[in-house]
Amino acid sequence: MAQQTTTPATATRMPAGDARAAPRPARRRRGDRVAWLFVAPLALIFAGFYLWPAVQTILSSFFEWSLLAPFDPLDTSTWYPVGTDNYTAALSSDSFWNAAFNSLVWLIVFPVLVTGSALLVSVLIWHLGRFAPVFRTVFILPMTISLAAAGVIWSFVYNSDPDVGLLNAVLRVLRLDIAFDLGPLHVRTGEWLADIGSLDLGFAQLRLVNLALILPAVWAFAGFGVVTFTAGLSSLPGELVDSARIDGCRAGQVVRHVLIPHLRKPLIITYVVSVIFALRTFDIVYVMTEGGPAQDTTVLALLLWQQAFAFLTEPRAGVGAAIAVLMAVVMVFLAYPYLRSLMGGGSGDEAR
Amino acid sequence: MNIVLRRYRVRLVTAAVATVLVASACGGDDGGSGDLAGELRVVTNWTGSEGDAFQKVIDGFEKKNPDIHVKVEQVPFDQTQALLTQQFAQGAPPDVSVALPGIIRTLSGQHLLLDLDDTWDGWIADGDYPESLRQVAEGAEDATEAVYFKGNVNGLIWYDPTKLANWGIQVPTTWDDFLAAAGKVKAAGVEPFAVGGKDGWPLTQWADPVLLRVAGPDAFHDLADGKIGWDDDRVVQAFTVLSDLMRDYFPKNALAAGFIDATCARAKGTYAFQNQGAFVNSIAPAECDKNIKPGKTLAFFPMPAYDEQVPAAQAVSGDLFIGAKATKHEAATRALLEYLGSAEAQTIWAKLGGYIAPNLKVPADVYPTSNDQAAAKLWPKGDVEAGYDLDDWIGGEIQVTYTQALGQLVRDHSVDKFVTTMNKVDTRAAK
Repeated sequence: MAQQTTTPATATRMPAGDARAAPRPARRRRGDRVAWLFVAPLALIFAGFYLWPAVQTILSSFFEWSLLAPFDPLDTSTWYPVGTDNYTAALSSDSFWNAAFNSLVWLIVFPVLVTGSALLVSVLIWHLGRFAPVFRTVFILPMTISLAAAGVIWSFVYNSDPDVGLLNAVLRVLRLDIAFDLGPLHVRTGEWLADIGSLDLGFAQLRLVNLALILPAVWAFAGFGVVTFTAGLSSLPGELVDSARIDGCRAGQVVRHVLIPHLRKPLIITYVVSVIFALRTFDIVYVMTEGGPAQDTTVLALLLWQQAFAFLTEPRAGVGAAIAVLMAVVMVFLAYPYLRSLMGGGSGDEAR
Repeated sequence: MNIVLRRYRVRLVTAAVATVLVASACGGDDGGSGDLAGELRVVTNWTGSEGDAFQKVIDGFEKKNPDIHVKVEQVPFDQTQALLTQQFAQGAPPDVSVALPGIIRTLSGQHLLLDLDDTWDGWIADGDYPESLRQVAEGAEDATEAVYFKGNVNGLIWYDPTKLANWGIQVPTTWDDFLAAAGKVKAAGVEPFAVGGKDGWPLTQWADPVLLRVAGPDAFHDLADGKIGWDDDRVVQAFTVLSDLMRDYFPKNALAAGFIDATCARAKGTYAFQNQGAFVNSIAPAECDKNIKPGKTLAFFPMPAYDEQVPAAQAVSGDLFIGAKATKHEAATRALLEYLGSAEAQTIWAKLGGYIAPNLKVPADVYPTSNDQAAAKLWPKGDVEAGYDLDDWIGGEIQVTYTQALGQLVRDHSVDKFVTTMNKVDTRAAK
């Protein structure tokens, strides 16, 4: 109960920290107090289930612990402080950088594919008019399947036995067995979840099998972009498009100069949400390859999970926590434009 | 005499929430720990026909002990370690659970398991088990804290006798014959080995028997216990032999196909051989083709000796059971563990097939097919040493890295790189 009385108190103090807003009318302050009362239950849930675990994770990344000998921030007998050892252990291991590189591939390829394909599909659906609801449903449907299930489905598609795997069956019918080398790029078909070639980047080797995992994720996730873009397009005044057409714009020009500028915000949202999604991807990789062959498809979230939940004979959960903190830092940094468009952007509109 | 007391005795408490809390907190405290009564929670990995077989074993126990009720929970194999660890850490572990040596030693190190030394002393004295199997069940501090329930022998080369005859190949009994057979089918346009490396663990099934045959059982055990490093000459030689096998006879899709795919592709005739455990005998007819006749169209020969100088040893694996020290029904838990290790319990499943009884007193004639009988005959009875599944024994990060490194070895055949990777993660010998 004490919290409920202190929460509004801190609330009134907070704006006071803002020098420009120092003297505020009493009426506004009373309004704030009521607002905070309404927010309090949600704030408590947020504090208990999001903030506290986050703080715990950050704290625990400076201690040695495991599931069998858990770290409790309130119980000093569970404290085995190791300074920044967990961070140096993570950052100095080859596994970390291998996973970081694979996560980077996800981070670059996944949002581009999601945004690009969703944009293309939504513009086409929008253009179609009459059958739009049917097609919209078709593209949104995969969203309703859990990613783990999508991974299982695509594992069948990719199965290397042409009697089982759809993709290899199609290639067999077409008598296609592609294998070529183009400079640093090596491509071969057939073993979709083991080795479909690589791209030599000099500093690292990009295993194309990662793309075979990204594709099902795009398939499952693009529906989110389609929903967002379709909502954006439905708010587009028809007059704008008509006048552009009368001015002599061709279809491509309408898309470039009318549709895309109108979709600026949905584009940012879709892009940033898929960036966050890409960085925390775990389930589809776990289901389809478990990070293999060797460590070719291991991403950071999978490595984190292994440290905390698979390597049980060693107290490695602290290293897992350290990886989680590092990922969170990157994620906050990448999600900044999104957060700003949600919060800062809102007050910016008010100011105008 | 109503000593069968309901585990969840609901108490009359006014608040509904309190009822739930108290009932779960106080449930089960009513059967005294000395009585052979109570409800036991057992965690296993077996589903389908294996789940049914285990339930039959449990039925036998409940018939003998009508006051004990056993509830079996089926947990996916790869989630068992994490689940057990969490429940043990929370102080609410299953009374009895299936476990592999790696996690047994981890839990034992935290003093969470029942000490079963007395039971084992009796078994060894009565000739139920050889001493080498007791070592597999040992915890962190030389106390035996698990019972062996389901045995398996590895390093069996499965093949179709009718096809082998068509190719004009005799069952190989020497290493040279073995390589010659692989070469002969390859020349005939058939891939020699079905591997299934996508699942990871089938690669470790290759490493164990090769290590035992090339490096020998002493090096195998020292490597398992972290007494020698992976750069030990005998170990390096074994992995060189394995790497050459991979280079010369592994198929292109060794890492792309999983265990079931590989097993069924061999049954179909895409591959000539498959190096796997005894369980293939029940899995191939169940998963691939009901017309497969164990003994007629499915048989195995043990991987031949590499070097006659190296003492014979049998690669084994299998499932053990542990009892939680935190159990509320210690007597009942101990009774169940003792039962699971007994010839009586193991005979029940042995009769159903796809199972090797680790207890030596289970008669040889209870096994349903000739393959089961032949595999059971290979089970170490004190005459040959048992080499327990290396990575299941070690567990943890080393196990994961080992499986990954073997996948890399399939690809690049670089033993140097393999040894470096393993020595980096397995620092036990260096300490």
